[in-house]
Amino acid sequence: MFSRRHLLAGATALGGASFLPSIAHAKGSVAAAIYPGTWEEAFRAIVAPALKKKYSVDLELQPLFAVDQVAKAKAARGAPPFDAFVLDPGPRITAIQDGLFDRIDLKKITNASKLPAGLVDEWGVGVNAQVVGIAYNPKKVPAPKGWKDLFTDPWVSRLGLTGFQTTFGTVSLIEIAKVFGGSETNIEPALVELKKVLPKIAAVGQPAAMPSLFQQGQCDVMYTNTQTVATLKGRGVDIEFVKPETGAITFLTTLHIAKGATDVENAYKYIDIVAGKEVQEALTKPPYNFIPVNKDVPLPDYLPMKSLDEMSSFVRHDWAKINPLRAGWIEKFNKEMAK
Amino acid sequence: MLVGVSFFNDDKITQPGFGQWAKFLGDPFSYKVIVDTMMLGVKTVCATVLIGYPLALVYLDASPRLQKVLIFIIVMPLLLSVVVRTFAWIVVLGREGVVNTLLMQLGIISEPLRLLQTELGLVISLTQIEMPLLLLPLISVMSRLDGNLRDASAALGASRWRTLFKVTVPLSMPGLVAGCLLVFASSTTAFISQTVIGGVRLIYLPLLIWQQSLVVFNWPFAAVVSLTLLVSVLTVVSALSYLGRRSGGYVHG
Repeated sequence: MFSRRHLLAGATALGGASFLPSIAHAKGSVAAAIYPGTWEEAFRAIVAPALKKKYSVDLELQPLFAVDQVAKAKAARGAPPFDAFVLDPGPRITAIQDGLFDRIDLKKITNASKLPAGLVDEWGVGVNAQVVGIAYNPKKVPAPKGWKDLFTDPWVSRLGLTGFQTTFGTVSLIEIAKVFGGSETNIEPALVELKKVLPKIAAVGQPAAMPSLFQQGQCDVMYTNTQTVATLKGRGVDIEFVKPETGAITFLTTLHIAKGATDVENAYKYIDIVAGKEVQEALTKPPYNFIPVNKDVPLPDYLPMKSLDEMSSFVRHDWAKINPLRAGWIEKFNKEMAK
Repeated sequence: MLVGVSFFNDDKITQPGFGQWAKFLGDPFSYKVIVDTMMLGVKTVCATVLIGYPLALVYLDASPRLQKVLIFIIVMPLLLSVVVRTFAWIVVLGREGVVNTLLMQLGIISEPLRLLQTELGLVISLTQIEMPLLLLPLISVMSRLDGNLRDASAALGASRWRTLFKVTVPLSMPGLVAGCLLVFASSTTAFISQTVIGGVRLIYLPLLIWQQSLVVFNWPFAAVVSLTLLVSVLTVVSALSYLGRRSGGYVHG
């Protein structure tokens, strides 16, 4: 029989054991949030070994979407569950406004000088660029020239849409609005035009479902990023990327150090290694197809630009203006699109 | 928590008030979404019962070996992740999917039917996805029914149909109601299937909750929508189980 004392001792030992990983954690690891899917796979396969090799720091990845990272860090109130964020521009602004980041000391990022201007600021370091444009199936439809074409035949009846939930969806709809006389803060014209052609549109889907819908031939035109196009192509799908005549859209994915992070030094090492040439070059290769940001890395030939500097001419958006309006847009999109 | 959060006016959760409730309940669009969500549940329940009940009857009359095969087929959907099942339905229902290709090759249709992103397609796939939830309770109740009752009914001159509706169906009611409750609750909240197969033009309450809580961070509003979903599902569920109890009483009384 166990006495109560034995039981208590056992329970304490068990409880104590649960602290062990956190002791190991303090010695040489960094907990980083990462997008589930391609990002997680790529970071596990490339960044983790590189970090281990160079600094013998273990990388602990926590798969979370950008909005979930912000939600978790917000809910944790000063004791974030991870040391580094990976964010798109919209959630990044939210996190800055909520004071979730530590300021970055650029001296600790040795690779910062290899990144083009504008990728690094006091809050974080851009480690990946996304380029958004139109993707189409060359076997089914001719190449569209720009956003306007999407609303005419033959493209409109094969068009797949997503709403304002994602960064790429939001910026694409903004560009569509601009073509029809709207602006970064006025997406009304896009919705008006959409409403006119709505019965013809092939699919209005959840962003995560779009690649499968395209692959299955449910839609043959959609707006998406180069990474999705390259990945689908790698699987043998007939898909080509077009830079719209009004310009391709670009936005950055940035890494940030969480305020109250347990392993700040390791977080710097992590960010530095992700920005470095070796990792950037490896991430550019299939099946990951990232767009590199390090100037020493050659660009893959399927991209709509020849050099990183060319990207300064691409369309960018001011998320400080977009964020406050987005909730209203989502609601409006729901109502306009609902059957 | 949920109830508490729903009584705040702003998304920073600082000003208490009824603002979010007023916004939700004052908007006719919300009612449309509630009704659509409930109707989706009802349609799915009807479809699963129409297909599931005969299947359960077949199961009961089958040989033990066939029963094993059948129960495996019935349970199989549960062994697959809902995401896999849902994406499989994209392949089946798509424009170039199995159904459309077959119908076109048979010459029945010339243009691909629109099945994905319609309520019909959604109900079809939910019917398959939720089928085990109906069949398992139904079969467990029906297999405990005394076979002699059916023989007695036949001996007293009732036709097979009459036996079915006067004896088997009433006696299997508890299982049927339990199954329907599960199917209803699970299909009205099946966020993944609803959004992936239904697309975002079919708007149901779970989609609203997801958007409000994780995309725009309006947690009070998300709480309002969640509570609405909870209350409306509970209402229908308790109504159904009341009906179930009443019909149970009818049999015994």
